[in-house]
Amino acid sequence: MRNSDNRPRLSRRAFLKVSAGAVAASGIAWPKKAKARSTGKLATLIDLSLCDGCPGLDVPACVSACKTINRDKIPPVADPIPVPWPRKTVEDWSRRREVSDRLTPYNYLYVHRAEVDVDGVPKTLFVPRRCMHCENPACATICPFAANHKHENGAVVIDQDLCFGGAKCKTVCPWEIPQRQSGVGIYLHILPDYMGNGVMYKCDLCHDRLGRGESPGCIEACPQKAMLIGPRDGMLAEAERRAQQMKGFLYGRDENGGTSTFYVSPVPFDRIDATIQKGPGRPHMRPGVERQMAGMDGLGKAVLAAPAVGLVAGALTWLSDRKARVEKEGKKDV
Amino acid sequence: MSDRIVRERNLVVRHSIVELAEHWAVALSGLALLVSGMFQLPMGSRYYINAIPGLAWSADYMVSLNVHYAASIVFVAAALFHVIYHGLRGDRGMVPRKGDLRTSIEVMKSFFGKGEEPPFHKYLPEQRLAYVGMAVIIAMLIVSGLVKTYKNLYAPDLNYAVVLWATWVHNIGFVLFILAFAAHIGAIALKPNRPMLRGIFTGAVRLDYAEHRHPLWIEEIEGAKPGAGAERPATLPEGTVAVEEAPVVAEAAAEVPRESGAAGGESGVAAPEKPGEAEPGSGKPPGESPSQG
Repeated sequence: MRNSDNRPRLSRRAFLKVSAGAVAASGIAWPKKAKARSTGKLATLIDLSLCDGCPGLDVPACVSACKTINRDKIPPVADPIPVPWPRKTVEDWSRRREVSDRLTPYNYLYVHRAEVDVDGVPKTLFVPRRCMHCENPACATICPFAANHKHENGAVVIDQDLCFGGAKCKTVCPWEIPQRQSGVGIYLHILPDYMGNGVMYKCDLCHDRLGRGESPGCIEACPQKAMLIGPRDGMLAEAERRAQQMKGFLYGRDENGGTSTFYVSPVPFDRIDATIQKGPGRPHMRPGVERQMAGMDGLGKAVLAAPAVGLVAGALTWLSDRKARVEKEGKKDV
Repeated sequence: MSDRIVRERNLVVRHSIVELAEHWAVALSGLALLVSGMFQLPMGSRYYINAIPGLAWSADYMVSLNVHYAASIVFVAAALFHVIYHGLRGDRGMVPRKGDLRTSIEVMKSFFGKGEEPPFHKYLPEQRLAYVGMAVIIAMLIVSGLVKTYKNLYAPDLNYAVVLWATWVHNIGFVLFILAFAAHIGAIALKPNRPMLRGIFTGAVRLDYAEHRHPLWIEEIEGAKPGAGAERPATLPEGTVAVEEAPVVAEAAAEVPRESGAAGGESGVAAPEKPGEAEPGSGKPPGESPSQG
């Protein structure tokens, strides 16, 4: 296996063979309830050597499944939608719910198309894109209302009943995944003109289905079995094994401090990133994305040490005062 | 207790340097926490605050979180220092006493011309109550903030109930802290309280003010230092009012000793002025003159 931005040298036929063999050899079954039900952190694997974008279907099967599952998730949108003050940003996708080629509040998964060149041969890769469910997601940890949270199974889930739609999660996400629907949510009942602006939506890894022991809809629907879910350690080992066997590349293991989504590709991700159409709702795929909050971990540790520092300093100051007082009284006695 | 009377300068030392350092560490870091905490809300861009020169960082959550962390270190350390230091010293001056609530209401009424103030100890009863209120708010903020920081660093998948509790305790504490801060500043704006303001900058307040308004405190100081009370008149002559300006100008924090000084003031200084003789008529209107009770 190589770093994600190294150049691979592997023909399409070769990597398909390797991938198929690897799956067979690994003994890892395709989604099973037992896997999804397992306690501890889960992760998903997306094998780009297997995804074919569902030719013949208007909308890839995984995207259709996702849309169907989440069809009624967003409540009716206020009409008219309050216009926030003073920055008058309103994001309304309620009249474009059918959009499936980018992320929207009504579409949490789309298949990104990448036209790349492998050994001089043009090749089309299909890259299912959604929330990466990061290991330490800033979108969740610094949500001011804890509306977004990483659960023990690894899923990063926005509670639409708590979210004010301030889009902070989108701002701090390296891929700007969460998408806002204005005119829904708790903010309507408080100060809609001055505070909040809707609800943020994104993939929740089918958290409810996982709770019932089912697999995420996209994984279950994939005819190519290009996606897997299972315990994180096992998924990572499998992703690394596949990447090694196809002399390919991994994405998601190290990005943003580690995620719960491992892409395996025969083509380096910097080349995929260079060719995909990027923009709002269509995130980049730049390798080596750093976790922004990593730079302040040192200060955070100092915060956690501050109580001990204060206690020790207080005790030492008291001791010093007492010593000075005793010495002073001793001198007086003399 | 570092409190002592410096009669020749018409001053009473009210706060030690350590106490001043504690107060300002908590106050300034608390202010930085308030501002950086507000900027953790998505308001910098929405309200164009980031367009104000010098405040572009208001829309950068990473910068404001860095500021928040940095200020927290000072805030948390100072608060814990305060608890252990004064706990070990056995300082109880700010601990509420029986009847403080009722007396506070009387004092507040007196601010609006209804009735007269009772004599005070070092602190007003409402200061003691406010201290407890502020301590509770600060404890809420610190405990919940530490949980949130731990979660940010080590446990993003911390139990959701714990995260929700920590978040909302922090948010409610944030609002209460703003209110308490406003009340704190508002209290200083009240005319009868203004002479106390210099105390938190220099460590000392005017002796004539203290004798007028805090006679129980002065008695405590003098009671602890036998012989010193002889210089002090038991009560001010009737009709005498407090002065606005102290008859000394040369006082600074550097002059405030950290330890208790000897009773009776410093040697080699000009003859002490008796506060009761100081500039009648130059201070508070007669109606606001506190009684000696």
